Amino acid sequence: MPEPLHVKVFRFNPESDVAPKFDHFQVPVFDNMAILDVVMHIQNYLDRSLSFRFSCRIGMCGSCAMYVNGRARLACRTQVSSLKTRDITVMPLPNFPIIRDLVVDMEPFFDKWKKIKPYYLPKKEIDAPVTVQPDSDEREFIDDMLDCISCGCCYSACSMVATHKDYLGPAALNRAYTLIADKRDAIRVERLKAVDRSYGVWRCHTQFNCAEVCPKNIVPTRSIQNLKRRCVLKKIGVFK
Amino acid sequence: MEVIKADILILGAGGAGLFAALHAYDSNPRLKIVMATKALIGKGGCSRMVQGGLNVVLNGKDSLENHFVDTLKGGGFINNQELAWTLVSDAPKAVHELEVRVGCFFDRGEDGKIHQKPFAGQSFDRTVHVADLTGIQLISRMTDQIYARNIQVLEETRGLDLLSSKGGDRVVGALLSDIRTGEIFVVNAKVTIVATGGCAAMYKISAPSFDKTGDGMAICFRAGAEFVDMEMVQFHPTGLVAGRSRLNGSLLEEGLRGSGARLYNGQGERFMERYDPERLERSTRDRVARSSFMEIMAGRGTKNNAVYLDASHLGAEFVEQKFPGMVERVKDIGKDLAREKVEVTPTAHYQMGGVRIDSHCRSSLKGLLVCGEDAGGVHGANRLGGNGICDSTVYGRRAGDAAAALAWEEALNPYEESEAEKMRMRWLKPFTQDTGENVYEIRDEIENLMWKKAGLVRIGKKLAEAGNRLMELLEKVDQANVADKYLSRYNLEWNNIIDVTNLIAVCRLVVNSARHREESRGAHYREDFPATDNENWLKNIYQKKGHGFELELTEKPVDLKRFERERIEDRFFEKVKKH
Repeated sequence: MPEPLHVKVFRFNPESDVAPKFDHFQVPVFDNMAILDVVMHIQNYLDRSLSFRFSCRIGMCGSCAMYVNGRARLACRTQVSSLKTRDITVMPLPNFPIIRDLVVDMEPFFDKWKKIKPYYLPKKEIDAPVTVQPDSDEREFIDDMLDCISCGCCYSACSMVATHKDYLGPAALNRAYTLIADKRDAIRVERLKAVDRSYGVWRCHTQFNCAEVCPKNIVPTRSIQNLKRRCVLKKIGVFK
Repeated sequence: MEVIKADILILGAGGAGLFAALHAYDSNPRLKIVMATKALIGKGGCSRMVQGGLNVVLNGKDSLENHFVDTLKGGGFINNQELAWTLVSDAPKAVHELEVRVGCFFDRGEDGKIHQKPFAGQSFDRTVHVADLTGIQLISRMTDQIYARNIQVLEETRGLDLLSSKGGDRVVGALLSDIRTGEIFVVNAKVTIVATGGCAAMYKISAPSFDKTGDGMAICFRAGAEFVDMEMVQFHPTGLVAGRSRLNGSLLEEGLRGSGARLYNGQGERFMERYDPERLERSTRDRVARSSFMEIMAGRGTKNNAVYLDASHLGAEFVEQKFPGMVERVKDIGKDLAREKVEVTPTAHYQMGGVRIDSHCRSSLKGLLVCGEDAGGVHGANRLGGNGICDSTVYGRRAGDAAAALAWEEALNPYEESEAEKMRMRWLKPFTQDTGENVYEIRDEIENLMWKKAGLVRIGKKLAEAGNRLMELLEKVDQANVADKYLSRYNLEWNNIIDVTNLIAVCRLVVNSARHREESRGAHYREDFPATDNENWLKNIYQKKGHGFELELTEKPVDLKRFERERIEDRFFEKVKKH
């Protein structure tokens, strides 16, 4: 038997606890074990009162983001072996209110997501799927940025979000970029105005915290720099 | 108890629920629509997990008739033909709306038009997709559209039971629980749409998210709705083998086989040559899954009880470019899909059966509409890959339109309060006892029981044993308690007790129906009745709740008015041979 994992888990019930604490568990390790397997093992067999959030377990839904060994990660896509240690600390995502234990309230994240008007609105004349040659630059790099699963890792890692509560954050701005760069969209100029604010694109200090933690390898910083460029083009009257 | 009054209540926020909400709202923005989902909006369930794509006729060389016949052939001809025809004829409208109104952008082909890729069991390449992780975009964009509308979304809120009117003649909303607080409350609605998704979590190896515990079906069952063909459970042939990890059973998408990936047994034989020499790996899911299973059972599997999926001959560059999501997933278990063979196993995937509906999603109960995987009949005995999200979107749209029309005609009927109170007390029972059964042990047992006795290969005796054991487990889960009875806030254990209670209800329907169908067809294979029996079994099996814990079962011949009996040939059916 290999040595078990030593897992330290953050516990907090804001309703009844004065302060958070850590619980310690010994968890047997097996092949292909992910952090989601670790917390599920604890909850199913060691302490049934533990809370965390998950759904798809294969990195598509973005429900199980946690702060594992000092970094925001998807629990389901983080292999225990990749951590290169038997000591594991699991905490809730920073920059979010805590509902209980590892479950955070995603509302601040989605409130900001809603602020950029995340819904597509087609131009009136579009009544059929547009024809786009795959090798044209029509889609720029929008399609690479559409893979966002709104897990909140970037938002929790961003030091600008941590220090400015109104900052829209990387995910919302990345979504704004994918709409503003989409030539099918009817309100691109209006959207650009909404992000051309101090708490919008200009708050990004290109630290790339977001890109470092994104489980989908998206680089929101790149989207945000593209938005900044468009904001400047608009100011000098050449953005259409 | 808190009461929210609404015109329309929607349980579930996957492809079907989201589309239902959008259509209901756009039909009449004055309606008050409440949508409740067990997960965060758009994050729970299977539409989000769609990898392959959506089948639709877009090319002039293809036809609705072709898609229709493929769907019936795949379904062993017991599909509800009206529902199957509606599926294929509405699919182009659904895709048009997704791309033009909702804002999805499907992958384009060389000609700049929407690309359609090959899938199994199809006479034409008609699956539209966004690379190999299509669901992320579909569901994200639909969710964004919800934000543009005045629709009340209750996240992490689950339906517990449907409520009936004082006369008991119609469904008037539901009892729900807010997972974050543990509060139980009522939504009193004119029309209720159930769209919570499937129940594959009943099996030890399964592909969907673990929250797919048949909640919607169980809720409808307890309310007395009629079900159809519940024995028809699809196993997908290529679930990733990852040992005890939760990755185990997750899908390697069908496009791989569509593109020419091959299956080999542990002895290196390309075994599909024996089971379906014509279509080989591009045969339908039921046949490929069962063939793999039989190879494994005959001792010709790998040492991990699996077979191999090999895509390496397609060229590493091709695989990495077309299937980046699959390559990445396989990398998690330390393998390279583009360059080596990977172990796969059949994995529980989809419930073809479900609540009986008509083409406007109306169930047998007034005021109750059902769509998506909760509904049955569209896919018959086996669903084609790519017809699943097609079903959710097509019927989600229809449910939304139908609900808006009904809500406009109907007055709001009050619910029977004493019934609601009784239900509430029953669901709170796990908090009232100091000791009791451990729900995780029960859940583990169900998964093993169903896999062994009601899985890919079935036999009357074992099905009977499974049925009896399920009754005992139903009693056991009724005695389950939660470890910390003062903890109602985000209590996973309590929610697991609810999940397992629901799961057992659905398992019983599956097992009972499987016992009754004494033939083999599509996904349902009976070792004691291995042949397909078109003389006696071109039939659907209907079930609903009887007295006490009894199940009321009836059968009816399939209505063959669009594709007649004379056109159904023996060659369409599988000959299962022992090898």
